[in-house]
Amino acid sequence: MRIIASYSIKGGVGKTTAAANVAWLAAESGHRVLLWDLDPQGGATYLFRIRPKVKGGGEALVSGKRDLHDAVKASDFDDLDLLPSDFSYRNLDLLLDAQKKPTRRLGRLLDSMADEYDVVVLDCAPSVSLVSEGIVRAADLVLAPLVPAPLSVRTLDQLRSFIAEAKGPAPDLLAFLSMVDRRRRLHRDLSEQLPKEHQDVADTVIPMASVVEQMGVRRAPVVAWARMSPASVAYRSLWDEARLHAKV
Amino acid sequence: MAAEFAVDETVGPSCIDVLTDALRVRVDLHHTERRVWFDTHDWRLFRAGLQLEHHVRKRESWLVLSDLEGQRISRQPTRRAAVTAQSLPDGVTRDRVLELIGVRALAPRVVASGPVQVLSVLGPAEKTVARIVVEGPTTVRNGAPVGLRARIESLRGYDKDAAKVCRTLDAIPGFGPAKEPLFESVLRAAGLHPRSFRSKPDLEFIPGIPATEAFAGTLTQLREIVLDNVEGTLRQRDTEFLHDLRVTVRRTRAVLKFAHGTIDEDIRARYAVELKWLGDQTSLSRDLDVYLLGFDDLVSHVNASGELEPLREQLTRHRKTAHAALNRALRSERFAALLDGWQHELAVPGPVERPVIEVADELLSRAWKRVGKRGEAITDASPAEAVHDLRKRCKELRYLLEFFGSLYGADARSEAVSELKLLQDILGAFQDAEAQRISIHQYAVELAKAGTRPATLMAMGRLEHHLQLRQDAARAEVTDRWHRFNRKHNQRLYARMVTSR
Repeated sequence: MRIIASYSIKGGVGKTTAAANVAWLAAESGHRVLLWDLDPQGGATYLFRIRPKVKGGGEALVSGKRDLHDAVKASDFDDLDLLPSDFSYRNLDLLLDAQKKPTRRLGRLLDSMADEYDVVVLDCAPSVSLVSEGIVRAADLVLAPLVPAPLSVRTLDQLRSFIAEAKGPAPDLLAFLSMVDRRRRLHRDLSEQLPKEHQDVADTVIPMASVVEQMGVRRAPVVAWARMSPASVAYRSLWDEARLHAKV
Repeated sequence: MAAEFAVDETVGPSCIDVLTDALRVRVDLHHTERRVWFDTHDWRLFRAGLQLEHHVRKRESWLVLSDLEGQRISRQPTRRAAVTAQSLPDGVTRDRVLELIGVRALAPRVVASGPVQVLSVLGPAEKTVARIVVEGPTTVRNGAPVGLRARIESLRGYDKDAAKVCRTLDAIPGFGPAKEPLFESVLRAAGLHPRSFRSKPDLEFIPGIPATEAFAGTLTQLREIVLDNVEGTLRQRDTEFLHDLRVTVRRTRAVLKFAHGTIDEDIRARYAVELKWLGDQTSLSRDLDVYLLGFDDLVSHVNASGELEPLREQLTRHRKTAHAALNRALRSERFAALLDGWQHELAVPGPVERPVIEVADELLSRAWKRVGKRGEAITDASPAEAVHDLRKRCKELRYLLEFFGSLYGADARSEAVSELKLLQDILGAFQDAEAQRISIHQYAVELAKAGTRPATLMAMGRLEHHLQLRQDAARAEVTDRWHRFNRKHNQRLYARMVTSR
């Protein structure tokens, strides 16, 4: 089982859309996939039309009172299941802190799913916290969207430091430019420069596209209903890069 | 678990309309699908409770592994070309299938095609909470068609919704629970019965039946097993066809030997010669199959994989020639006459009225004593021939326990077979190592004459030495295993077995 965490320190950069599309593409290529929506806002849960509710809340899952398997819901797509978000995840830091070895807890919980899934995609809340430390520790690959801005490189540096400082073996990092508007010169320049200058930045860039925004209306990954759109093509290319890094 | 409903012919054409009226559903897919079920010749997947299907549609094809109830375990996109064990894509399917099939080849066992419609049952927020797969009418290649089916697929976390759909369908006139899953219906329509597959005779004797009847029944089954393996051996589909053919011939020869006094002596003598001929035709091909199957393992012990490639090539060449010779024998008039005569002369009961139990008691007692006599005579200094002789007597006893097993108490018999097997294993290891060692030496002489480089010949020398060590290790264990087999516990076990009838 390989774990891919879609993570960013900053919010609103395309993390959930990347998680949803990558999870769908992984399932389409024949893997058994679990998407865990760890963001209390429940964006991924909403996209897959699933009720954002876990019986007993985050506490029951983290403490082990409720088996992770029992909380899993099938999506509308073959081989793609979801562990829904719950509003109680806003306190996940506190819940983890109450456990022994809190940063290893998420990884331990996921170990119990290894027989059932080939790929787990974690959609993480934007923050630097105990939860994000746990996620980094559990993941084989951190997939990090970056918006094309002058501060992107600084964000990338912060991310690298955060991963390097986390306990345990460091996961691979694959950052990618998201919400790229080709009409803007800065976006074009950064799209060319960053992958050349940084080995951990993907060649793929995800364009700013209305179809991506429509995912919230259609409530399904764009790769499922607009297969030939530039955004879908970009997500496929991103998945191809991610699967190599994550050794899926 | 998936639940299946058989749909009455009266509902058939309007099935989707009926479902749309009864439930909140969306028709997601409508296509024609060709389904090919793959398994080994001896149904290893089926016997492990699995079915492997290749679904071929207009623009895509999938490999689906499910349990026999139709509950899916995995589904992977694959090429449209025929599936083989080597072409299975990496993942759960490949891991599970390869572990189960071993050296056997995957073959298409049954082919069916027909329309498939998938309906999503919708819950709040238009979320799919269950699926109904309407399949059929299904055309089965070389078989009768199978009628319309509606299969309910429950989705994880939405079991209650699937149960509700089942209740709804159950209440619709013309929908009734299917008596068996679609796969079983398709198999039956094609006249296939995986549960009755046998690679050795399935014998159940009543003690009082005439021995001639028991022998004729056994020989009939043995002939069928030989016939079942001829085509696969000719085409070299996998090495097990020849193995099963060879073992069945050996069993038949043993049965003929046991039939002394039961089957006419002239007939017995004639078929003993013919079956020996057939057995001999299979020897070289099988030996070479075994070499090549275990080649990598053997080579790993002497750490010389590259240097021994000329040997592998030589074995492969020899195997090709040996199989060609075997195929000529299997296509010969002599083989056809053997099969024909077998049916008319061996598979019909003769006039002797002696009950089978009497014959079984006598043969078992004699075989048990023979094993005892040969075993007692074995010492650490005994020549290899004495060990081989003991092995043959053990094999004879084992066959007798197999053939007449149903006449005796199952517990004592199965324990006696297990004990005997422990002894046979070490005797087999001794002989296999010796046979391989001698062959390696002969092949080295051949390769040397052909001017093969010294590194290869030296590696073969190391291989011969390794086999000698293996043979010595087995030989050193023979006496201990014999003493284990010959202990009082087993004598009592045998006595208990023959009195338990």
